[in-house]
Amino acid sequence: MDIILGIRVQEGTIIAASKAATRGISILKDTDDKTRILNTHNLVAFTGESGDTVHFTEYIQANIQLHTMRENDLELSPSAVASFVRNQLATSLRSRKPYQVNVLLAGYDVKTNTPTLNWIDYLGTQTELPYGAHGYAAFYCSSLLDRHYRTDMNIDEGLKLLDDCLEELERRMPIDFKGCYIKVVDKDGVRDITK
Amino acid sequence: MSGYDSALSIFSPDGYVFQVEYASEAVKRGTCAVGVKGKEIVVLGCEKRTTLKLQDPRITPSKICKVDNHCLLAFAGLNADARILVDKARVEAQSHKLTLEDSVSIEYLTKYVAGVQQRYTQSGGVRPFGIACLIAGFDSNDKVPKLYQTEPSGVFNAWKANAIGRSSKTVREFLEKHYEQDMSDEKTIKLTIKSLLEVVQTGAKNIEISVMKAGDANISKLTVEEIKKYVDEIEAEDEAEAEKKKPKTRA
Amino acid sequence: MNSIAQKYTHTNNNRILNEITSARDGLASTHQLELAPSIQLPPISQPTDFLRAHTDDATNPDCKIKIAHGTTTLAFRFQGGIIVAVDSRATQGNWIASQTVKKVIEINPFLLGTMAGGAADCQYWETWLGTQCRLHELREKERISVAAASKILGNLVYEYKGMGLSMGTMVCGYTKKEGPTIYYVDSDGTRLKGDLFCVGSGQTFAYGVLDSEYKWDLTIEEALYLGKRSILAATHRDAYSGGSVNLFHVAEEGWVFHGNHNVGDIFYDIKEKEKSFNNVDG
Repeated sequence: MDIILGIRVQEGTIIAASKAATRGISILKDTDDKTRILNTHNLVAFTGESGDTVHFTEYIQANIQLHTMRENDLELSPSAVASFVRNQLATSLRSRKPYQVNVLLAGYDVKTNTPTLNWIDYLGTQTELPYGAHGYAAFYCSSLLDRHYRTDMNIDEGLKLLDDCLEELERRMPIDFKGCYIKVVDKDGVRDITK
Repeated sequence: MSGYDSALSIFSPDGYVFQVEYASEAVKRGTCAVGVKGKEIVVLGCEKRTTLKLQDPRITPSKICKVDNHCLLAFAGLNADARILVDKARVEAQSHKLTLEDSVSIEYLTKYVAGVQQRYTQSGGVRPFGIACLIAGFDSNDKVPKLYQTEPSGVFNAWKANAIGRSSKTVREFLEKHYEQDMSDEKTIKLTIKSLLEVVQTGAKNIEISVMKAGDANISKLTVEEIKKYVDEIEAEDEAEAEKKKPKTRA
Repeated sequence: MNSIAQKYTHTNNNRILNEITSARDGLASTHQLELAPSIQLPPISQPTDFLRAHTDDATNPDCKIKIAHGTTTLAFRFQGGIIVAVDSRATQGNWIASQTVKKVIEINPFLLGTMAGGAADCQYWETWLGTQCRLHELREKERISVAAASKILGNLVYEYKGMGLSMGTMVCGYTKKEGPTIYYVDSDGTRLKGDLFCVGSGQTFAYGVLDSEYKWDLTIEEALYLGKRSILAATHRDAYSGGSVNLFHVAEEGWVFHGNHNVGDIFYDIKEKEKSFNNVDG
């Protein structure tokens, strides 16, 4: 059970994604990065059917990069990226073999200086949220975030809140997810701040 | 009209495919583009048409295009044809990265572009691309600059320095005379501009220069002011040269 | 596993196909129209469903076709390159079909692939991968990277996802650019880079020994022994693994075969030497 979790704060968006890659009853890898950088200010984190996830996100990544090249380094905004991803998933849903991938998109709109967190599931539901998660992480953390999230939080406070979430997950989840990669998207782009 | 140019895929008795020859003519009529390799950089330069009075120069597309973060393509010939070819190259670059994990090598991309050009000389109902390309860049994890050229026929070659388009012969001869091995960055840029000045009379505002280095964030476009600095320098040198020669002719 | 597959697979409610089928049934009964040309369709709606019905003994123990599944394979990276070790038993259900299967596929002198899951699938597609690697080499005048090779295989099996391919493989190789590299590729389309993998029904037993004694600084001698010992552990505990251990070492100059070790022969030697396997008498 993979964990992906996102929190939007004043200056940026924070994403946590679990490091474990599990197949059957074995953990095959404890340094699996379930995120991809789409462009300088957009990061995607994913969970879902194995195989589909990486395939889908790399396909999205290539298309967004292609767009950047075509438009002379003009990069898609977070809302445009979200619409594109949603549309791809919605199209795929009506195909013979739909992608079963759920994603969180962390972005920073450089034009309006606003951080965003987009939640999209394999059915093509897209919504902009202050915080969100997919899978079991949502069960454990939604209430915690409902209780402690404040709209005026800064990055440090956001990271503190994220730590509380991860602590709760480690305490209650029956399966070890080998910790999380933590990444921040803000005006300076994407950076990895995993401890 | 000899009749051998009515259908594309027909040879003339002496072995020419006329449509391809005509495409080369279109290239010769296109504005000039130059590529020069230095020790650590590769420079692409091209002649820019004077923008009309009411034209917006900011959004008029450039003749030097980015194919991927590590690869530039400059062309001479029909602009509209180039747009299609460049787009094919960009898609291939991303698709290569998606399926092989590594970025395309410059040679691979050149081969691909030349391959597309070749295909359009041998199939029915199409016309060859009326462009020649200079493809420059660096392979991943490599510091050696690469420069290739493709032609409408689908031929490709590697070069240390070369020119395509209008008066390319003059520029190539100039480059042959002045090219040196392992030039410094400054010197490479200067040689590029100098060679372009052979055919561009109007100076800095009609020249476009892109400089490429190895590694990340490696492509830079020179501003008109920067180019002007080089042009002035070159002109001053030329004058000094002429000055030196003068007394000789008097004597 | 099958229930998961079923959950994620949509049954074919293709209206058009149903219509064609019913129309054909209708036509067949009309004697005169039987002479009219018709399209021959296989009597199944989805090849996937067909394969699942006839090859998956988890849901249907009486299924006619039993694909060889049981295996233990492992590969790990260490200071001196890569060790690849595998068992050699092929089973079809409870029947041991062979004790002398080659489960390491020599893709080329620098690349090895391991075989777990469907033997035919692995054998065929990894040989096919060899041809793709050779073509890459000829075109690019450079040996293919392990990353690229494994991705070719990963993409290929992904195309066949849900159609009954069954593979769990490790693509192991050494290139100048990457050094010793292992990629795990399986038939759901998963592709992971890593230092140490065990694949197959005996994976847990192999992991047990391998994890407890694995260090990066192992000498080649030690590493070869550890690989062999881990497979031995798996053959001892997993009924579907056995036969003999095939050992390989991959380094800069390519891979080297380090022998076929019959489990029956080495078991008592190792037990004696290590004073291990104390649950076994003799």
